[in-house]
Amino acid sequence: MDANTMIDSLSTQFPDAVYDTKVGSNIRIFAKVKPESVKDVCTYLKKNLSFGHLCCEFGVDYPGRNEIEVVYVIGSYEHSVILTLKAILPRDNPEIESVVDVYWNANWYERETYELFGVKYLNHPDLKPLVLPEDMLGEWPLRKDYKGFPNKTARNLV
Amino acid sequence: MDEKVGPSEMIVHLGPQHPMMPGPFRLNAKLRGETVVDSEVEMGWIHKGIEKILENKTYLQGITIVDRICYLAALTNEEAYVGCVEKLADIEVPPRAQYIRVIMEEFSRIQSHLLGMGEYASFVGFVSMFMYTIRDREDVMTLMDSVTGARVTHSFLRFGGVKDDLPEGFKDDVQRVFVNLRKAIDSYEELFSSDEIYRSRTVGIGVLTAEVAKDIGVSGPPLRATGVAFDIRRDEPYLVYPDLDFKVCVQKAGDVYARVQVRLDEMRESMYIIEQCLDQIPKGPLFPEGTAYGRRTPVMRVPAGEVFHRVEDPRGEMGFYMVSDGSDKPYRVKIRGPVYPTLQTLPPLLKGVKIADIVAIAGSMDTCTSEVDR
Amino acid sequence: MAVEQTDYEEIPGVTLTDRNVISDFVKKTKAQDILNWGRKNSLWFMVNAMGCCGVELLSTGMAHYDTDRFGIIPRNSPRHADVLIISGYVTKKYLPALKRIWEQMPSPKWVIAFGDCAISGGPFYESYSTHQNVDEVFPVDVFVPGCPPRCEALIQGFFELQKKIEAKQDRGTEY
Repeated sequence: MDANTMIDSLSTQFPDAVYDTKVGSNIRIFAKVKPESVKDVCTYLKKNLSFGHLCCEFGVDYPGRNEIEVVYVIGSYEHSVILTLKAILPRDNPEIESVVDVYWNANWYERETYELFGVKYLNHPDLKPLVLPEDMLGEWPLRKDYKGFPNKTARNLV
Repeated sequence: MDEKVGPSEMIVHLGPQHPMMPGPFRLNAKLRGETVVDSEVEMGWIHKGIEKILENKTYLQGITIVDRICYLAALTNEEAYVGCVEKLADIEVPPRAQYIRVIMEEFSRIQSHLLGMGEYASFVGFVSMFMYTIRDREDVMTLMDSVTGARVTHSFLRFGGVKDDLPEGFKDDVQRVFVNLRKAIDSYEELFSSDEIYRSRTVGIGVLTAEVAKDIGVSGPPLRATGVAFDIRRDEPYLVYPDLDFKVCVQKAGDVYARVQVRLDEMRESMYIIEQCLDQIPKGPLFPEGTAYGRRTPVMRVPAGEVFHRVEDPRGEMGFYMVSDGSDKPYRVKIRGPVYPTLQTLPPLLKGVKIADIVAIAGSMDTCTSEVDR
Repeated sequence: MAVEQTDYEEIPGVTLTDRNVISDFVKKTKAQDILNWGRKNSLWFMVNAMGCCGVELLSTGMAHYDTDRFGIIPRNSPRHADVLIISGYVTKKYLPALKRIWEQMPSPKWVIAFGDCAISGGPFYESYSTHQNVDEVFPVDVFVPGCPPRCEALIQGFFELQKKIEAKQDRGTEY
C-alpha cells in the first residue's frame, strides 16, 4: 500500500473529519483532522493502515491566527510512510480528546504538551506536569507570548 | 501509580541521584516485600527548555544547542537537525561530506554503546567491565577528537557539509584502534556469556515482547532485541547508507541479555561500516560547489515549510520536526528522542520483578535522561 | 526534616556537646596542617552526572585517567563523599534535590563547579527552567570552565582545590 492509497482510504473513511490532505512525497503524507474525531481517526489508522508507531505529538502556537495546532507524527513498523496529522484548536480554551488508549506513549507527550502549551486532554489517565515543577504550571512557557524568556538574571552576563 | 499503600507495602523513591542512573530521573517503586507491585517514572530534573532556546537562535547557532540534547549521541542529533534544514532549503550534500558524516556517526554509536554497556555492567555488579569499556572508549574518543576537535559536544556538521576533512593518516589510526577494539568486544562477549552469575541475573529477566514494545513505540536496541528488525538506516535511508553493506542486528529473546548482545553486535557492524566508508570515500569538496554554504555566514534564511526528519541514534529513532516561517530562526522545533518511549516501558516491565532486578532492567535500556528532559 | 533536639542533661553519665570545641581548638594549632594534608590527599568525589559534563566526570574516575592515583575516588553515595561536583545546569526542579545531597555530605566538604553551565549558565543561561547563579547557593571553591571541560581540566581543578586546602583558604572549613 503506497502513500496515495493510504490518504484516499483515510479521506473516504472520514469524509467530514479529515480535510486538507496532501501527499508530500512517497513517504510523507499530511492531513488535518477535526479535534473531536481525532481518537476515531487514530484507531482507524492503527487498525487498518498499520500506523502503529506514534513518533511524536506536540503543539505549535500561532498567536497571529489565535490557534494552537496539535500535531501527531505517526509512523509505522511495517512501512516507511509517515503521516502528519494536525488538529487545530482555539487558543483561549484548547481541549482535545486524548489518544492514550490508542497509542500508549502518547501519555508523556500529552502531559508535556499540557504543561508547556496548556492544551487540555480529555480522558487522559493522569494529566499532571512531567518536566516542570508543579508551581510553574499555568505559565505555558512554550507559547510565543511567554514573558519569562529569555531569563537574563545571571549577573555575570550583564 | 496509586499513592495509597496497602498492608506490608512501601514506596521506595530511587533517585534523582542514584548510583543506577546515568542521569537524574526518579523511579518510585511500590514494593511488597522484595517484589515491585507498581512503579512510576518521574522526569524533568534536567529540563533545560532546548525547544524554546532553539526558537530564539539562528539556524547555525542551533547546531551548538542540539549537541547538548544527548551528550552521548551529539553527532546523530546534529544529523537530524541539519537534515531538517537541508530538506527545507533543498541542499545537496556532496558525497565526501556524506561519507565523513557516516564515519563520525558510527564512531559516535560505538562510543555510546561502550559507555552504556560499561555503566550497565557496573549496575549489575560487574564494575571491572566499566573499567575495560572506558579504556577502549578512550581510543575511540581520541580518534573522534582528532577529526572534530572535541570529545563530547562536537558541533561538527554544517548545512551542506562538515566542518573539517579527515586528518592525514586517519585510516591507519582507525585500523590500529579497530584491531584492539575487535579483540576487546570479543572478550566482552566471552565475559558476558561465560559468567554464570551474570547469566542468571540477566537471561529471562525483564522480557519485553515485540507486541508490547511496538505498542509503546520503542525503537533501537531494546526493540531489535525483541526480534523486530526496525532500523531507520535501512527503512528510511539517509546519507550514503543505501550504498553500504550492513545487517540489522536482531535478537529473539527480548530480555536483558539480548539487549546487551544487540549492542555488542551493533558495534561490530559499525566498525564494518566505517571500514567500508574509508575504502569507498571519494575525493571532492566538503560543501556544495558554487554556493555560500561553509563560508562564515551567521544569517541564513530557510524557506517556509514543515519537515520531519529522523535518523538512527545509538538508542533508536531520533527525529526532528521543524516548522520554518521563512525567517532566520526556526519557528518551532520538536525533538523526538528515542529514550522517551523506552523509559515508559519501565512501569510495565518492572511489575512483579525483584527489587535487585530494577537496576539490571533499567540499565539495559541505556537511558539518556538528558534527551528525555531536553 | 529536622530531628528534634534531645536534652543532653537527661542522659545520665554522658557528656555531649553541640559545639565543636575540640576542632575549634585544633584549628589554632599545627595539628590542623597534618589534618589538611590528610584531607587533601583523599578527596572522594560524588558521581552526580547532570549533563554533558557528567560523561567526562565518569571518564575521569575510570581506567584511562585513573584519578585513584591522587586519592580522588568516585563514590556513589553522598555519605561517603567529600567533594560535590556540580556537573551541569541546575534546574529549578533539581535544585532542592541537589541541596539535599549537599546537606547529606559530612563535613569537611567542598564544591567544584564543573563546566560553563554550573558557572554561568552556559548555553542555557536564558532558559526558563534553569536556576541562575549557583555559586550563591553553594560555597564553590573551584570553577572549571569549558563546555564540557576535558578530563585533564577536572584533574587540574582537583589540584587547585588541594592547594587551597593546604593553604587553608578553602571555603569548606572556617579557620
